[in-house]
Amino acid sequence: MKFTLSWLQKYVDTAGLSPEELAEELTMLGLEVDTVAPLYEELATLKTGLVTSCKKHPDADKLSLCQVLIGENTHQIVCGAPNVKKDLSVVVALPGTVLPGNFKIKKSKVRGIESAGMICSERELGLSGEHHGIMELPTGTPHGETFIEIMGLKDTMIEVDLTPNRPDCASVIGIAREVAGKVKRPLEIPVIDREVEVTSKEFSVDIESYELCPRYSARLIKDVKVGPSPWWLSARLLSIGLRPINNIVDITNFVMLEYGQPLHAFDFEKIGGKRIVVRQPYATETEIVTLDGSTKKLSPEMLLICDSEKPVAVAGVMGCFNSEVEDNSTSILLESACFNPVSIRKTARDLNLSTDASYRFERGVDPGGTINAMDRAAQLIAELSGGTISEAGADNYGGRIPHNTQSLSISRTSRLIGVTFTGGDLKEMLESIGMKVTNKDEDTLFVGVPSFRVDIGREADLVEEIARIYGYNNVPTNTPKVRLSYPEQDENRLKRYPLSVKLTRNGFNEAINYSFTTPDHPDMLKLSEQDYRRKTVSLLNPLSEEQSIMRTSLLPGLLENVKRNINFQKSAVKLFEIGKIFISQGEDSQPQEKQYLSGVLSGNRYGESSPLYFKADLVDIFDTKGAVEFILNEMGLTNLAGKEQIQFSVPPEGAREQFSAEKYSLTIHLGTTLLGTIGKIENDVARNFGIKQEDVYYFDLDFDALCGIVPATTTFTPLPTFPSVKRDIALVVPASVSAGELLAEVQSRKEKLLKHTDIFDVFEGEKIQKGFKSVAISITYRSATKTLTEKNVEKAHSKIVHLLTDKFGGSFRDA
Amino acid sequence: MEQELQSLESEAKENLKDITDNTSLEEFRIKYLGRKGQFSAIMKKLGEVPKEDRPRLGQLANQVKAELEELFEAQKNDILRSNITGADSALPDLTLPGRQLQLGNLHPVTQVMQEICSIFEGMGFSVAEGPDVETDYYNFEALNLPAHHPARDMHDTFYVSDSTLLRTHTSPMQARIMEANEPPLRAIAPGKVYRCDSDITHTPMFHQVEGFLVDKNISFADLKGVLTVFLQKMFSADLDVRFRPSFFPFTEPSAEVDIACVMCGGAGCRVCKKTGWLEILGSGMVDPEVFKMVGYDPKIYSGFAFGLGVERIAMLKYKIDDIRLFYENDQRFLSQF
Repeated sequence: MKFTLSWLQKYVDTAGLSPEELAEELTMLGLEVDTVAPLYEELATLKTGLVTSCKKHPDADKLSLCQVLIGENTHQIVCGAPNVKKDLSVVVALPGTVLPGNFKIKKSKVRGIESAGMICSERELGLSGEHHGIMELPTGTPHGETFIEIMGLKDTMIEVDLTPNRPDCASVIGIAREVAGKVKRPLEIPVIDREVEVTSKEFSVDIESYELCPRYSARLIKDVKVGPSPWWLSARLLSIGLRPINNIVDITNFVMLEYGQPLHAFDFEKIGGKRIVVRQPYATETEIVTLDGSTKKLSPEMLLICDSEKPVAVAGVMGCFNSEVEDNSTSILLESACFNPVSIRKTARDLNLSTDASYRFERGVDPGGTINAMDRAAQLIAELSGGTISEAGADNYGGRIPHNTQSLSISRTSRLIGVTFTGGDLKEMLESIGMKVTNKDEDTLFVGVPSFRVDIGREADLVEEIARIYGYNNVPTNTPKVRLSYPEQDENRLKRYPLSVKLTRNGFNEAINYSFTTPDHPDMLKLSEQDYRRKTVSLLNPLSEEQSIMRTSLLPGLLENVKRNINFQKSAVKLFEIGKIFISQGEDSQPQEKQYLSGVLSGNRYGESSPLYFKADLVDIFDTKGAVEFILNEMGLTNLAGKEQIQFSVPPEGAREQFSAEKYSLTIHLGTTLLGTIGKIENDVARNFGIKQEDVYYFDLDFDALCGIVPATTTFTPLPTFPSVKRDIALVVPASVSAGELLAEVQSRKEKLLKHTDIFDVFEGEKIQKGFKSVAISITYRSATKTLTEKNVEKAHSKIVHLLTDKFGGSFRDA
Repeated sequence: MEQELQSLESEAKENLKDITDNTSLEEFRIKYLGRKGQFSAIMKKLGEVPKEDRPRLGQLANQVKAELEELFEAQKNDILRSNITGADSALPDLTLPGRQLQLGNLHPVTQVMQEICSIFEGMGFSVAEGPDVETDYYNFEALNLPAHHPARDMHDTFYVSDSTLLRTHTSPMQARIMEANEPPLRAIAPGKVYRCDSDITHTPMFHQVEGFLVDKNISFADLKGVLTVFLQKMFSADLDVRFRPSFFPFTEPSAEVDIACVMCGGAGCRVCKKTGWLEILGSGMVDPEVFKMVGYDPKIYSGFAFGLGVERIAMLKYKIDDIRLFYENDQRFLSQF
């Protein structure tokens, strides 16, 4: 809601308050001021002038050579406007002036004749789009004056960001009422407490549903002359950014802004049967042409204003082309009505039309205020267009809303706000904003609510008014007295943060991607047609195709992040994300939401660490596997209490993820439950995501499933009393034998002295026969009861060596 | 044997001093300290000495071995250092940077979210999360926002179907938690929320923390107290806070909470639009309609609720000027926090 300071001052005296102080008061009343802007500052140097002589330019047909008197000096100015003439009052930009749009005025020669400035059009001044000629000031405007001052343009525009509950303040009078209550000065309203006394015989108003239209008032004004508005009215509209059209339309707009009551003017000659019917469309009425010239589709629930034959307006939204006031119109039927907010809102939505009228009707217009606004507008029309107001009018108020009275408990109000009030305190505050207050009993007040406060319908609404008027900042600041209790927390959530912190200690940055992605992702990942990650949830109204489905995997987002980072020369990427995926459960149900923990790795293992100490080297599958082992370890999921342990396994042929490269894929299971996968992104999948760099690795873990596993309890292991002995074995085994198999075999021996095994080297080639590899294992032996002798160790060790060579047919190399 | 040990020690020390490269160093290790090295050879003789001398000699042998190993390690490091600096001198160049492995960072939203949650957890609030894809009922109806209410304009909603949508705020958790529990209650609900809006100050997804406290005799003064404590913990102990009337369908009275501009300290700047104040969170007393929806008697219980934007706080805290940076996951951005 925009208005200007001078406009507001028509209704309330704000003397003593600067625009900024006024803005502060309004904001603290709940009318948040968004902008305080001095108007037309860029026009401050323009002067008024009087054309004292106007001759043809000797060398140009269309140019005039003017002498313009500005104060005591006469300036010679060449002007191209067709309407320039002697004795015209004009606006002059003298050399040195900068007009809107950074247009600098200089002294110049036009076709050989000196020109000392410019006579301006409205468009050049930024006042309107008018550029057919120069702006003509009213006859008798003194010359040599500052244009914006003499024309009453010097003003301050204030814009309030209205909350939906205050439609009464979508009017200058509404705002003035709040200010008047605050500064305790009277509110002056031009037309108040009017009634329509005589019902017109010249036209009638019928309402089909009072539910949809509780009140419809109308008045006829005859013998009007449609023409441009007087300057004061145009200036008012211009000051808040509205374009003046003609006196009739401008008056309806002005009064709507003044009173908050939308008005509509029909050309009465075009109203068939001299009858207004407020009704819903007939089945045959499917389309309508609105004032903006567009054809709109009608639906049966919409409300129309019709004459005896046809619709002439969409109620509360916009008038129709067929009943428009035109330059030759002479009789005006002025509508001032009240419509059902929900109905208007639906209609405006369906038509995709939001107007100043629909904005107000949607929020609620004072049903008691139709006549005042109508009569104010009728008076102005009569005054400014020479028309005659017909004494009789129409006021169909079949949907009369009962008087609004609410009771208010003094003690409850005090308790809710936290301030002890007396009945007198409350009475005084409520009366300052136009409420009528009487005492019911010791603790209860009866509050009569004026009809313009459509937002007040309960005690709570009055409590809010009290808090607002008392001033939020005058309420003390306490902390509540509550019973001590232990807040139960979500275990799953509690695990996320510490785990994330630990992952960052492992060189990973945390990513957060949008939950919505492009529907192309499943294809880009080469997911099979049956894959559950194709059960996507689509948005009905996405911002773009790229953000139109809810993600079913965190990997696509992370892969896009890899691309971005590489593009910005950060080719060492280690990112993880913990977030939800969404699996559709059918169209009208909420999807299944599951937390995943996924990560991507690519480029240098040590990232930005100094190459002085950390030799640059590319990440590989073991960095990835290591990250997952780290996660499982940190979550306490290694050495689980039960028999089953989490296993990493190479998926059987055809069972690996489609986007994961062959020979570089692992699945992670606990029993038959799949917990996640690890792998290297297939090169063509990486290219689908625009990643040219090879070797992108990922892990993708079902975080909810991990959280569902009962972690191992940490129990102290006594520190060893006796020293341990290490023995190394190097075995040459067929290349097909995996390290995991060797280790499993060593473990299976259940040698009591064996404490720990480590693979410390694996290599092929050089001295090793083709088809074989050397695996070096270091084994630690220790006894809990004594220092081991060479003999003890040798005995255990040789058993293991034999076991391995027997089983895998390898040979034993000296380490 | 004692003598053998001592001569071995002095010989090894002498040799070690002259070693300047890794190959010789490895040869040294095998010769003296290896499993088949000279030290082991002497140790094997330990069995031959008289029983009463064994403990003393064993101890001595261990001492000698430990000393040699320590010297060996020191020499190894010296060689490494001189290899790095390329200088022959064994003196380290201390102007070189320290050795540290680059670590990663938590997303700034996570960091700020955690800080917010821990302040409220400290005041005894429980933390709960809810679904991102929410029903129209919990997102709107249960919060006194019936269909066709103009306040729905404040929420540019992404719809999934007629009755399901992406939650536009974390407030649905108010209704869900109250519905499932009896008062007294105090809880916060952090999470992602969605609005169809995208520009330099809006992303279609962002994070909020909703919170509420319901008990008997909870007043607007209590709301002011709890939120002031929170904001002063979050920003600074002497932070100026103001409350001003606003409108939310699920609270009444409703209040916007402003803090003194963290950029200009209240003097007025571009960020605070010259007002000296920054809007930081929305709050209010829980509307009686919301209580009725969950079956609480508004004559017995009262409470307050609030909601705040995490990105907004992160932007103010770190002076980030474009909200879209949060979702690009550019490591040049992430590594700053």
